[in-house]
Amino acid sequence: MEVTLIDSPVANVANIARALRHVGADLRITRDPQTIADADKIVLPGVGSFIAAMQWLREQRIDEAIRHAASNGTSLLGICVGHQLLFDISHEMGATAGLGLVRGEVRKFNGSLPVPQIGWNRVVVLRSSLFEGIAEATPFYFVNSYAATSVPSEIARAEYGGTFTAAVQNGKIFGVQFHPEKSSEAGLRLLRNFVQWT
Amino acid sequence: MDVIPSIDLLQGNAVRLTRGEFRMITKYGSPEEVLDALEVEEGARLHVVDLEGARSGRPVETEIVRKLAKRNLRLQVGGGIRSIRDARTWLDCGAQRIVIGTAAAESPNFLLQLIDSFGVDRIIPAVDVRDGTVRVDGWQRNASASLPAILGRLQSLGLKEILVTDIASDGALGGPSFSLYRELRAITTLRVIASGGVASVGDIVSLARLGNVSGCVIGKALLDKRLSLTEAMARARTPNSIPERVIPCLDVRNGRVVKGTNFGNMRDSGDPVECADRYEKEGADELVILDVSATDEGRRTALEIVRRVAESIFIPLTVGGGVRSVDDFRALLRAGADRVAINTAAVANPQLIADCAREFGVQAVVLSCDVKGREAMVRSGKESTGIDAVDWCRRAEALGAGEILLTSVDRDGTNAGFDLELLRSVSGSVKIGVIASGGAGRLEDFRDAIER
Repeated sequence: MEVTLIDSPVANVANIARALRHVGADLRITRDPQTIADADKIVLPGVGSFIAAMQWLREQRIDEAIRHAASNGTSLLGICVGHQLLFDISHEMGATAGLGLVRGEVRKFNGSLPVPQIGWNRVVVLRSSLFEGIAEATPFYFVNSYAATSVPSEIARAEYGGTFTAAVQNGKIFGVQFHPEKSSEAGLRLLRNFVQWT
Repeated sequence: MDVIPSIDLLQGNAVRLTRGEFRMITKYGSPEEVLDALEVEEGARLHVVDLEGARSGRPVETEIVRKLAKRNLRLQVGGGIRSIRDARTWLDCGAQRIVIGTAAAESPNFLLQLIDSFGVDRIIPAVDVRDGTVRVDGWQRNASASLPAILGRLQSLGLKEILVTDIASDGALGGPSFSLYRELRAITTLRVIASGGVASVGDIVSLARLGNVSGCVIGKALLDKRLSLTEAMARARTPNSIPERVIPCLDVRNGRVVKGTNFGNMRDSGDPVECADRYEKEGADELVILDVSATDEGRRTALEIVRRVAESIFIPLTVGGGVRSVDDFRALLRAGADRVAINTAAVANPQLIADCAREFGVQAVVLSCDVKGREAMVRSGKESTGIDAVDWCRRAEALGAGEILLTSVDRDGTNAGFDLELLRSVSGSVKIGVIASGGAGRLEDFRDAIER
């Protein structure tokens, strides 16, 4: 199955590429907007700063390419900050507009727990074919200071000083706040589900 | 802990009474619609109260219970069971267990007859408690015996589980009475099904953590959709949302995995990539590689090993050993490490922690702290620093370390168990995660490190 991985400099592209190949993806790693606009299946990675990641997408005109592909029914999976980029707005240092493919806003954790959250956390209320074969309360690996909360398109949530959205689905647009490429068997299963089913 | 959804039946409907008044009824539709809406799955426990039965003193909603039983649910039914015949009626309808209220507190003889007829496993005695006193006859009057006396009697009859309703919190969604259930832990070994006031996932997690609570009955919060049953069940099964992690640590010297005792006496134990592969297959949650060779030649080999290991696993990788600068740190991240541990260089120059945290994010920075006695050690445990380990960990946290890898030099490789006192004092002083290392030999050592 052909998968187009966006080669963002604000991302851990190599790890995700390796995991996707491991689950059978025929991978194209690209920064070319046209290739992205025409893709059947896109993975949007991201780590670190939402603002830097979004700015890069805009400069490269990849934001438009992604929206174009999404409107044509392309499947898309956002990972970590790539997941956050799907939303309307992030409140990382003031409000920044995201891609607007999923309704909702991304905010900083406001509990008493240390941020970023680093490590494994159990994910519950799994409601999507993306989680097929993955048991309720399976741990996934997270590194994040920001998250969406109770958005309408939520398909999984987790607890970190309060409940937050661990994954979303809007039609064929998916986002996961955790790192499937670092989440052992369960993470690989999720990527396989995306690559082979959605 | 089991999450047990609860429905009250009246005239064929699932309902709720406000303050026990039959004049103030909220209807939720047919029981089947309600179960579908709650997404109650096959095999789940369900608590059913026959309200008319409780009022009239004979089983009324038998048809509904029969239908519910066909859904393969583990039903527990209560409401005015006053004779062996009533009890048999419910059990014949497919109830797995019957819930006995007033009689459990007031009629030991009836309870004994029930046990003789059906066995202890099919009976759940239920007590309703207000201010430490058991209330009977629809909360109208005090029971003739005290709560501890009643519990003692139930226990001596061989019963295992008891349903305890806190009257003050029932239907109030103000949270259950944790103090009541904690008190019960001190006065009885009966497992407790908690009922009343459960309103949030947090309530469920807290009840599950008490240890003596084997189930919790939830009515209003589920019916009013304040709580999802799926989530409640998942949380009850795994009350610790942050799972415990087992992280094998590979000590690497000149390209080979070595293992020593008290940081010395190294033995060769294999190729790093093969070891990493094996650990991941056996279910390791993360991996740590510590390069214990000090030479520059060793350092280059280490980078190559990190690259090869990182390419073979799909779990987080922490690498440490000989990191002296931001450049060393970067080189290891580029080689595929998710996090880098620093020790000796950070003691010499604490600013290195802050510099790396700013450059790569705090999630990438691990303080590796080797401890002998209470003192932080450097240069692979060989050199004293005179710095108190707890103070040092606290300072590293403030500078930007995201996690602490805490190793007891005294316990390393001894299989004598983790140094729990050290672990407790560090964990209690910082908010960031602490990885315990050194001394684990038995499964109990891991349990002790987590629980104690």
